[in-house]
Amino acid sequence: MDIKSTTPLSGLFRSSPFKPVQEHMRTVFSCICFLPAIMDALYRQDKAQIDEFGHNIIQLETEADAIKQTFRLNMPNTLLLPVDRDDLLRLISDQDRMADTTEDIAKTLLFRNMEVPDSLKEILDELLEGTMEISAAAKDMIEQLDELVQVGFRGREQQKISAMITGVRRSEHNIDSILFRAKRTLFENEEKLNPISVMFWYQLIDLLGSISDQAENIADRLLLFISK
Amino acid sequence: MEIIAAYGTVFAILAIIFGLFMSWGIGANDLANAMGTSVGSGAVTIRQAICIAVIFEFSGAVLAGGHVTSTIRKGIIDPSGIVNNPEILVYGMLAALLATAFWLLIASWKGWPVSTTHSIIGALIGFAIVGIGLDAVKWGKVGSVVASWVVSPVIGGTVSFLLVMSIRRLMFNADDPLKNAKRYAPGYVFLVGFIISLVTIFKGLKHLRIDLSGFQSFSIAIFFGFLTAGISWIFIRKVKQDREADRDFHFASVEKVFAPMMLFTACAMAFAHGSNDVANGIGPLAAVISIISSGGEVMQESDLPIWILLLGGSGIVLGLVTLGYRVMMTVGKKITELTPSSGFCAQLAAATTVVIASRTGLPVSTTHILVGAVLGVGLARGIGALDLRVVTDIFISWLVTLPAGAIMAMLFFFALRGIFS
Repeated sequence: MDIKSTTPLSGLFRSSPFKPVQEHMRTVFSCICFLPAIMDALYRQDKAQIDEFGHNIIQLETEADAIKQTFRLNMPNTLLLPVDRDDLLRLISDQDRMADTTEDIAKTLLFRNMEVPDSLKEILDELLEGTMEISAAAKDMIEQLDELVQVGFRGREQQKISAMITGVRRSEHNIDSILFRAKRTLFENEEKLNPISVMFWYQLIDLLGSISDQAENIADRLLLFISK
Repeated sequence: MEIIAAYGTVFAILAIIFGLFMSWGIGANDLANAMGTSVGSGAVTIRQAICIAVIFEFSGAVLAGGHVTSTIRKGIIDPSGIVNNPEILVYGMLAALLATAFWLLIASWKGWPVSTTHSIIGALIGFAIVGIGLDAVKWGKVGSVVASWVVSPVIGGTVSFLLVMSIRRLMFNADDPLKNAKRYAPGYVFLVGFIISLVTIFKGLKHLRIDLSGFQSFSIAIFFGFLTAGISWIFIRKVKQDREADRDFHFASVEKVFAPMMLFTACAMAFAHGSNDVANGIGPLAAVISIISSGGEVMQESDLPIWILLLGGSGIVLGLVTLGYRVMMTVGKKITELTPSSGFCAQLAAATTVVIASRTGLPVSTTHILVGAVLGVGLARGIGALDLRVVTDIFISWLVTLPAGAIMAMLFFFALRGIFS
């Protein structure tokens, strides 16, 4: 006869939802990390590399989707969680949207042969740098989640995460002003460029900007975690 | 009386076989749950867990198990109506043992989360109703036992909640968590040794002919507290900061302090389990032996012979080494989510609650109290995710186990009476 454990204990423990959230964020971040690379390839007009990096981004986005899927399947509403279940589900959606946006950017560069106007290069670099910085900050915050659980979202770890949240807010504000300047620069050069290209550049700048908006959303969710 | 005289030896042998079978079942399954927490958090190896279980199940059963055994023997049923037919009580106790053992087998086969304690109480009530009459069940006592099943996990949960809060305040939120952890950890181990020995020896060793005054009890408990704290200090002082592991998880080094501490709570759990589950498992056996050896005295005034507690302990160890270690590994694998620090709090809370219940003679469920204690950690926001469906499952298992134990005990009772009378 097969002796099964009759313990209610094994049914009690579910795997921590914070691990997949962190794993998801790492995947999303490595997806975003291809953005500077693909933009650089675009500057150099290296079609082969744009293609390669573009497909890397698409693949990582698919991986992130898969993690999100299994995560949601393992979140029945009978769980006792240290944070609000809805907040946690929204958090992973926000993270996922960062990867989706990155994929949108990559796809635009894949299907359309874009050329970077020289006048735009400097401000684009600044925007990319800001985006990478805020994405890294968002990832760092998510990496703190297991420590936060350990201390029950209170005390020193809470102060640490509040400081990080403030940092992300500040970066987002900073990126807003970069976005404004980028669009202004584009506007000033509109006459010299192909109108359809201009349209796509506005779109790309907005997409880059929305990555930092989502990073800020992540910070806001974490704020809810520590203020519960 | 004639039946007891004629079949006394047969009854005694049957009771011993059934009793061994049952305690084997408890060892194979129930004990694995109690110890699985330590194994799961990686603090104790399977081999160590078996050694701990052997020593502390025995001492728990012998030192602190008497009160619960006496509740099962004479607390639930009033046999004054069958003074002239003591064989009825013998059939009943045998039926209760058989019913519980079978119910445990079925549960193990199906994987249901049932508790031995609840099956025994159900079986006793079932037999008493058909064998003696409705009035023979001490409903007041049954009520307080059932109430203790609800209250004890709540107490376990509250204690573990407070423990989690206190270690956070003293250790995890300090400037130097590792230094503070090493400073306060022996204090918590002191609590393990102190509380459990105090509860056990404070007016609780009469059955061993040891009668200590309050002051003596306190002194001995303090001695045991310091002894355990001292031993723990030998392990704890060796813990070094592991910068590599800390980079990944900041509190990795602090958790290392709790690993040796879980060795002590594992001992406490085994002791608590011995004092309650072993004790209620062998209660019916003790009753049968007492009736037979007194030549048919149903009121059972005699003391509990120590060899019965030893027999129960042996059965449990046998269950553990034949099957239980495998169950322990399965349980351990499933609960790796518990960090050593939260595991420590949950086990300390559960062990103390069980030992206090044992001291008051209340047969409770170690596993359910442990569930309560783990939920306490969860309410302190200290665990990633706990599935509350388990709480519903536990309530359902109570509702099913009591009648199931009762009905099976009735059937076995009629069968035994048919065979012997």
